Amino acid sequence: MEQNSARPYDDDIARKFVAATVLWGVVGMLVGVIIALQLAWWPANLGLPWTTFGRLRPLHTNAVIFAFSANAVFAGIYYSLQRLLRTRMFNDTLSRFHFWGWQSIIVLAAVTLPLGLTSGKEYAELIWPVDLLIAVVWVAFAVNFFGTIAIRKVRHLYVAIWFYMSMVITITVLHVTNSLAVPVSFTKAYSIYPGITDGLVQWWYGHNAVGFLLTTPFLGMMYYFLPKAAERPVYSYRLSVIHFWALVFLYIWAGPHHLLYSALPDWAQTLGMVFSIILIAPSWGGMLNGLLTLRGAWDRLRTDAILKFFVVGITFYGMSTFEGPMMSIRAVNALSHYTDWTIGHVHSGALGWVGMVTFGMLYWMVPRLWDRPLYSPNAMITHFWLATIGIVLYVVAMWTAGITQGLMWRAIDESTGLLQYPNFMETVLRLMPFYWIRLLGGTMYLTGAVMMGWNFIKTANSPALVPATRS
Amino acid sequence: MNPVFRAAAESIPNGWILGVMTVLFLTTFVAWTVWAWLPNNRARLEAAARLPLDEGDAL
Repeated sequence: MEQNSARPYDDDIARKFVAATVLWGVVGMLVGVIIALQLAWWPANLGLPWTTFGRLRPLHTNAVIFAFSANAVFAGIYYSLQRLLRTRMFNDTLSRFHFWGWQSIIVLAAVTLPLGLTSGKEYAELIWPVDLLIAVVWVAFAVNFFGTIAIRKVRHLYVAIWFYMSMVITITVLHVTNSLAVPVSFTKAYSIYPGITDGLVQWWYGHNAVGFLLTTPFLGMMYYFLPKAAERPVYSYRLSVIHFWALVFLYIWAGPHHLLYSALPDWAQTLGMVFSIILIAPSWGGMLNGLLTLRGAWDRLRTDAILKFFVVGITFYGMSTFEGPMMSIRAVNALSHYTDWTIGHVHSGALGWVGMVTFGMLYWMVPRLWDRPLYSPNAMITHFWLATIGIVLYVVAMWTAGITQGLMWRAIDESTGLLQYPNFMETVLRLMPFYWIRLLGGTMYLTGAVMMGWNFIKTANSPALVPATRS
Repeated sequence: MNPVFRAAAESIPNGWILGVMTVLFLTTFVAWTVWAWLPNNRARLEAAARLPLDEGDAL
């Protein structure tokens, strides 16, 4: 690329992933808003098989996890890895293969899921040919990643790289193990695991996809971009080292908490529950390490919107990593499971932690990658408030809806011993106001993301900084 | 043998393994924490913490 040609790093690949993050982020969130509308107002299903909630919901989850979040992770890694190791990526062709391969996978997902082609496994819905493509592209990325580490010019691997590394290794193992299947046609395959074993493998995968795609790389990005934005080193590097090993060791055992009260043996359910509760310790250690990085600089929060994004993101990380372990306790799970509380929990992590850290990182990176000041700092602040208020509306609505739902489902009429609300529709209708509030919150969040996209396009098209004015 | 007693007897070897694993993991954790807080490692780790901030020189 012409821009930054004097720099030794491949910033073009980071720019590509930034653009993909914003594009797919808007698409994924838009689909989320559409399905939120469908739940509040059923005619929005349009009466077509391709646009029903059942097909669009996996499209939404795949888009925001594997298109928005994963592209953000790749953008953050390509930017920070080269700088932390003081070397260019190992192989530029592999970087391009990774980028175009990953975008092809996203397009294939966007085609197959509305057509109803699915493996039926949550967050692993894609059919087996796409699974194979994911494995090939991921391995190419892994070779490039470890190749870059091999040619590094700095001996010490900064803690962020350890977090990235845990993602590269664990996602490979999770994806391959959970996707093992016997194909019976080009679009249909059967899992090799029987019965509850299949359930356990699936939720070992599902929980650790959250752990190693939506948590560890984002913590790595927090450990890199937060010190950059705050212009001070992380509060305790020693704590970050303990944080890393404790988190990755504990996370991998927590999957069975998704299968409480199922056919899974009791001891395995208890194992998942206990490890989930212990997970609070490293999670909060990391959260405090992030927040305390701002010690002595809290006044900057008044004016620095990027720090606002990071602080709200880290705070939501703390909230959702407290809430998750609580929900894994059998007694709490008896109330929360299958209700909208789970949806609230997921979105406090997704919109709050993943989304806000991504926005903070993008607002920090874009002016540097394009060598231009941000076009509209005011629009960035508006985005921050739209997103923050949107999350609160969304999450509080879902918490309230979920607890209402759970209490109604298990309410017993003491005089007859029968269910107090035997008609399922009765509970659904009670939730309608909350579904409209969720739609409002989601629309605000999407509006903020669209504003960010507009801001970045205007930034990229504005005049470049002359070298003398570069900070 | 009574099925309950048999299950209890069969769990003993597994219990042993789980006990050893617990002790091993706990020891590793404590050792790792001690290593991180050793005074000798302080300067090295504090220098490492500055890696993201010092990189500007390479640009």
